[in-house]
Amino acid sequence: MYAEEFDDYEYETDVYEPTGDPRLDAENERYTGYGSAPQYAQYSMPDVIKKFIIYFREMVNSGKLYEIQNVYENTFPKLTEEHFKSSPWPDADEVSPLVDDDLPFLILYKELYYRHIYARIQGGPTIEQRFESYYNYCQLFNHILSAKSPVVLELPHQWLWEIIDEFVYQFQSFALFRCSLHKKSAEELEFIRINPTLWNIHSVLNVLYSLVDKSNINQQLEAYAKGEDPDTVAGEFGRRPLYKMLGYFSLVGLLRLHSLLGDFYQAVKVLENMELNKKTLYSRVPACQISTYYYVGFAYLMMRRYADAIRTFSHILLYVQRTKPLYQAKTYQNDQINKQTEKMYVLLSVSLVLHPQRIDESLQAILREKPHAERIMRMQKGELQEFENAFAFASPKFLSPVPPPVEAPPADHRREPFQQLAKVFMDEVQQQLTLPTIRSYLRLYTTMPVAKMAAFLEMPETEFRTHLLCFKHKMKNVVWTKGTSGLDGELQSGSEVDFYIDGGMIHIADTKVARRYGDYFIRQIHKFEEINRVLKTQKV
Amino acid sequence: MAEKMRTEIASMLQGIERYNPDNLQKLERYVEMQAQENIYDLEANLSVLRLYQFGPNFYRSNIVNLILLKAMTNLPHTDFLLCKCLLTQDRLEEPEVSRVMVLADLLETCKFKQFWEELAKCGDLIITVQGFEDAIRKFVVHVVNITYQTIEVPVLKELLGNVNDQVLKQWVGKCSWKDLGNGRIFITSQEDLVKTKNITEKIEFENVAGIMAHCI
Repeated sequence: MYAEEFDDYEYETDVYEPTGDPRLDAENERYTGYGSAPQYAQYSMPDVIKKFIIYFREMVNSGKLYEIQNVYENTFPKLTEEHFKSSPWPDADEVSPLVDDDLPFLILYKELYYRHIYARIQGGPTIEQRFESYYNYCQLFNHILSAKSPVVLELPHQWLWEIIDEFVYQFQSFALFRCSLHKKSAEELEFIRINPTLWNIHSVLNVLYSLVDKSNINQQLEAYAKGEDPDTVAGEFGRRPLYKMLGYFSLVGLLRLHSLLGDFYQAVKVLENMELNKKTLYSRVPACQISTYYYVGFAYLMMRRYADAIRTFSHILLYVQRTKPLYQAKTYQNDQINKQTEKMYVLLSVSLVLHPQRIDESLQAILREKPHAERIMRMQKGELQEFENAFAFASPKFLSPVPPPVEAPPADHRREPFQQLAKVFMDEVQQQLTLPTIRSYLRLYTTMPVAKMAAFLEMPETEFRTHLLCFKHKMKNVVWTKGTSGLDGELQSGSEVDFYIDGGMIHIADTKVARRYGDYFIRQIHKFEEINRVLKTQKV
Repeated sequence: MAEKMRTEIASMLQGIERYNPDNLQKLERYVEMQAQENIYDLEANLSVLRLYQFGPNFYRSNIVNLILLKAMTNLPHTDFLLCKCLLTQDRLEEPEVSRVMVLADLLETCKFKQFWEELAKCGDLIITVQGFEDAIRKFVVHVVNITYQTIEVPVLKELLGNVNDQVLKQWVGKCSWKDLGNGRIFITSQEDLVKTKNITEKIEFENVAGIMAHCI
């Protein structure tokens, strides 16, 4: 399962290489030939697509949000499935005459067009397409940001979220693509050389910070947290849902970007006005919710704030559990949600091994099941490989903000940022490696002389005392208590097994949990009722 | 002075400005100032590391060393980890930095005896960081405070870096510990802090009211 994950790197960064199969090659040629329109000339657009595009534009310009949402979430994916399963949508040049060269619409169309190529076209986008898509995002954001008065455009939240999310994703994809120098042709290297600003980290940060500023989203969130009306501080632009939501999603985009670059402090800091511990009216997009908690939880884990990581993951995993039926349908969004959920179960397991504590019964039940239970057991036994695997599987795809120079040896540099952060994490694990063993011994007693327990563990007393100090130090973490900023908190010890030393004697305090019957019965009653209801509807 | 600088730097680092390399010189001077005047600003220091990350040509290892040593003085907080995440593998392996890494690892695993021994070997490494040793002692005090109710004098002396009776007395006073006179020092009463917890199930009426209503 882990091996498969790594193939993702391949998948995202593969460039077109001749396959040797003439038919396939011809097909590939078609994609790489982007920009030279004549190749598309013979292709004639089906009427249904023509009609759709005209209707789509009409809806976008009409501002009928519900209809736009329907087109975006249902019709477009449906037509993609039927007509463009593995080929690109018609080129913008062909679409242009149908929509009276409506530039703003064409930019939005191209946003979908390239996103589709990234997601569905085998071999991924060519370097030209990456460039074109980047340029299209620049146009889109310029259009929105440099307008003197707010642009008249309303898009569904889901779409706005996906614009920001995709923007960061394509940056990530390019950064990885850029790092695999060993697979680049001379032409590609030349292209990179003459386009140094292409998907440059500063431009990406600039876009996101500009959207945050333009929308006054931080001021709005602050007012909102205080129970005041955000509109009073939103300003002319920020009052518009388009700007407000782009600003909001940009904060999440920054959270992700900072995490990918290893700056976990800044990652959590950008959300300092967002109330993560309450339900906010801003977040109606499940994918955004889930992504937010994934990255925040991960940042906490890296900062050794385990109790906070556990709270964060638990919160969102319970939310996913409750809303699960929504993600059953096979769509690309749900794929991502399910994948991220799976990763969070692994991260939750890691956090719990490092910092055992009680969690919600229904999540505990899942962790008692197969792949999780075994993984947890191996980590508890101190198998470093298992920690490493878990980290490799569940961590974000870390990036280097500065790609290797074009002249660098044609090697594969993609894994370097990952290895760097994996090392930081594993150093931490290594420092804590003896703690589970010590914990399991402590658990057996209420008092025990230091010397005696050292003998049980077959180590010199001085060494054992050091481990005991380390236990106390590592189990005392900063934990969030109040306020909107996720960085704030106070040092707390949330460990299930705790102790103190009085002279030569260890005094141990354990947490004893009585079995919970109530939950069990309530669940059974619900199940029984459900069965009853189903039975009643059956006709014999 | 320090406060003024802190506010000035904070306002300089708003939004995208945080990534402006033109600020670097000023930030580096601020790092040096922190070391000389025994003040500390994690956020500013992280943005220095971030600028080095974005522009490897600007990298200055002596500044990075200062940042790491300052991060160490803020234990038990995990500043050091945050800094480490922003340094590439080959930087971490440079001799100067790797010495600092060894020291941090010893502190994180509470091997205080080895830490003081290792530090003694490091010569002038910490000369430029005002109050470094006492900051580390404060961390030791923190760990002792959460671990011990009473501690043997020799053990405590060793943890604090083989301090003499005079210095030990100062710390005992500063930390409101009490010399029991029997070779032990009373740290704090832990009985109330470290207690066995019994978690029993509480079922509130509201939790089951719905179900009960259904069954009628």
